[in-house]
Amino acid sequence: MKREITLNINQGLETLTIDDADTLLEVLNEQLKLWSVRESCGVGVCGSCTVLLDGQPVSSCLLLAVRAAGAITTLEGLQAGASLHEIQQAFVEERALQCAYCTPGFVLTVKAFLEENQNPSDDEIREYLAGNLCRCAGYADIIRAVRSAQAKINSGTGNS
Amino acid sequence: MTIRSFDLLQPRSLPEAVEMLARHGDDARALGGGTTLIILMKQRALYYPYLVDLQTIPGLGEINVESDGVRIGALVTHRRIECSSVIRASFPALANAFEQIGNVRIRQTASVGGNLAHADYRLDPPPVLLVLGAEVSLFGVKGTRTVPLSQFFTGLYETALEPAELLVDIKVPFMPENSRAIYLRYNTLSANDWPCLGVAAFFANTNGRCCELRVALGGLASTPVLVGGLDFVKDQTLDSAVMERLLETVDQQIAPFADLRGSEWYKRRMARLFVKKAVEQLHDAW
Repeated sequence: MKREITLNINQGLETLTIDDADTLLEVLNEQLKLWSVRESCGVGVCGSCTVLLDGQPVSSCLLLAVRAAGAITTLEGLQAGASLHEIQQAFVEERALQCAYCTPGFVLTVKAFLEENQNPSDDEIREYLAGNLCRCAGYADIIRAVRSAQAKINSGTGNS
Repeated sequence: MTIRSFDLLQPRSLPEAVEMLARHGDDARALGGGTTLIILMKQRALYYPYLVDLQTIPGLGEINVESDGVRIGALVTHRRIECSSVIRASFPALANAFEQIGNVRIRQTASVGGNLAHADYRLDPPPVLLVLGAEVSLFGVKGTRTVPLSQFFTGLYETALEPAELLVDIKVPFMPENSRAIYLRYNTLSANDWPCLGVAAFFANTNGRCCELRVALGGLASTPVLVGGLDFVKDQTLDSAVMERLLETVDQQIAPFADLRGSEWYKRRMARLFVKKAVEQLHDAW
């Protein structure tokens, strides 16, 4: 069934016509052209289509757009103007990316994680990020980037 | 659009949802968190022209403390159970089972009722809920009924749910004093994968002697197994003879089948190992 819905996305409202069968990922890509949200596995395992729904990470490939009630944040909603978010900055500085296909999903997951846990151990970082896969296997750099982002956020430098 | 077009029906009450399911029969399916049904529909393994959205029914997403236990609404997410202070304090083994499922995004989306009603044989919560003596409330055209979880799973992906009947909540009774429970999940592939098997145990103790032991296993055969005939442990100390008898009893009551995560032989061996480990850990915690 076709219907009109209003999505609260990156702090703005978007009214769209969708089909009940559209996933949030399909709507974000095809209608809103938010290409940071990427499909890989399609079954909620890899984390490359991660978005934040009311601050919590979810797989947009498994969420029907019609049910996406709440504030949605994609990577595009993280930047303030031209300056990168601390977590993005940390990923650049620590070179925690190679092909970067998985990076938006990691950055958003790290954002939710650091809001919940301001002083995580390496094990807690690994545990929380276990559902995000990086096929270039840059995991050591990614964990360093989480540490660095945490230090930036805790010291209040940069924007957030 | 990957999924074939369907109509999402959005009831405002349980009777309305049941009426929709009854009206559309095999053409309709209840939709909880969606982490399983949406995947199966994307893969075109399943198709329903109508999905009945349970998220629009008020009151199904709550955790309520009652005098004799905790009632968990069917639409409560895995992540909420894992993080709930009430669950963590009253049933740490249950929180532990939920926090090991899939990944954080799946746990944020998947519902506890959908998990049980799907009745996959590899689910983590059933063994723990079984040793805790949980029961489920079901609502259908004939009204509400309560079913012990031990009678809920009837086969591979088969449950006691009648057509157009919904799982409404799960009641977990408070644990008696001097009792503890544990859940051990054994992964043979990645940490986010289904387990090879899961073992839950409940142990009540008086003055160093066992007064009750319950053991349940998941991931082995079409339904989770709550091991019967463990009364012999009463008033015993858990020495090697009692442990051997326990492991023999477990071995007789399981019928593992091979899957990607282990052969029949292997699962039998691991079941013994993990039951022993679980019971020893509970016992040593005193």
